[in-house]
Amino acid sequence: MRVFSGQVPWLLQRLTALFLIAALLVIFIALLFGVLPDYASWRAFVTSSHGATIVFVSYLAVCTHAWIGVRDVLLDYVKPLPLRLLLLMAISVLLAATAIRLLLVLGAALFV
Amino acid sequence: MHLRIYRYDPHSGSAPTMQDYTVEPEAGDRKLLDLLVRVKSVDDSLSFRRSCREGICGSDGMNINGRNGLACLTPIDGLAEPVTIRPLPGLPVVRDLIVDMTQFFTHYSAIKPYLIEKGPPPERERLQTPVDREKLDGLYECILCACCSTFCPSFWWNPDKFLGPAALLQAYRFIVDSRDGATAERLDYLDDVYRLFRCRSIMNCTEVCPKGLSPSHAIEQIRQALLSRSL
Repeated sequence: MRVFSGQVPWLLQRLTALFLIAALLVIFIALLFGVLPDYASWRAFVTSSHGATIVFVSYLAVCTHAWIGVRDVLLDYVKPLPLRLLLLMAISVLLAATAIRLLLVLGAALFV
Repeated sequence: MHLRIYRYDPHSGSAPTMQDYTVEPEAGDRKLLDLLVRVKSVDDSLSFRRSCREGICGSDGMNINGRNGLACLTPIDGLAEPVTIRPLPGLPVVRDLIVDMTQFFTHYSAIKPYLIEKGPPPERERLQTPVDREKLDGLYECILCACCSTFCPSFWWNPDKFLGPAALLQAYRFIVDSRDGATAERLDYLDDVYRLFRCRSIMNCTEVCPKGLSPSHAIEQIRQALLSRSL
């Protein structure tokens, strides 16, 4: 598999989609069967080391999936290369900033 | 029947127009091409391609009431009037319903649509088992009419880079051929951000193929072949 192939992003988008479907299914089942019945139990789960890891990995999957999706749209509609690169950089920075913010919030909740 | 036909001559300097024609089908007229030939007999300035009139040559691909198809395979019965006929979308118009298919055939050439033998040529014909031969069904029948590629939004967005469903269907026809010895090179060529992976599985190609083929299925098979090779 080449690093700059068309297949890598295509595959990553599908793998992240499968992961997110599974995560949403687990959340739905948890809500349906009252595994985590109230805010306190949800908070306890998210601020546990396992819960925080699952939340953060899920968010990374969201970011990857979204970046590839936006990249696909930009490849189709934005033809000038400098503008395309600028927009790709902007969305990368935005997604990275939100991921770092999430990491800080989870870290604070985990270790405080 | 009332036909509304796209008229354009780039050399005239005039903008494209839609011209109305009324033509009565005569006994034996079954397909839209029959009506176009009747229109041509009263207005010989109308230009369109046609040859075999039975869905084999792929010359008379056009956009009929918003949907690509072959005029010679489109029954007159059931056509909503006025029948709006335009050239295949996404390609430059040479005149009226005739489009410049240079880009389309450039992509077709790029996938090397011929068997590439790696070893020395056999003394007799290249044999194939019935099972291997069956794998070509649904692929070899493509007549390169361009109805699929010119109805594909991914082709409209990147006509110079995305190969389009017709060329990709042909690419898979040679990838899956047991007699071909260049599968790895073919897959390498297609593993690109644009050539194959601009396809979003919109499936307009499969929807409009006048031969009932499924380019989107062929594209999926190429993706699976790439994946199997990577794993």
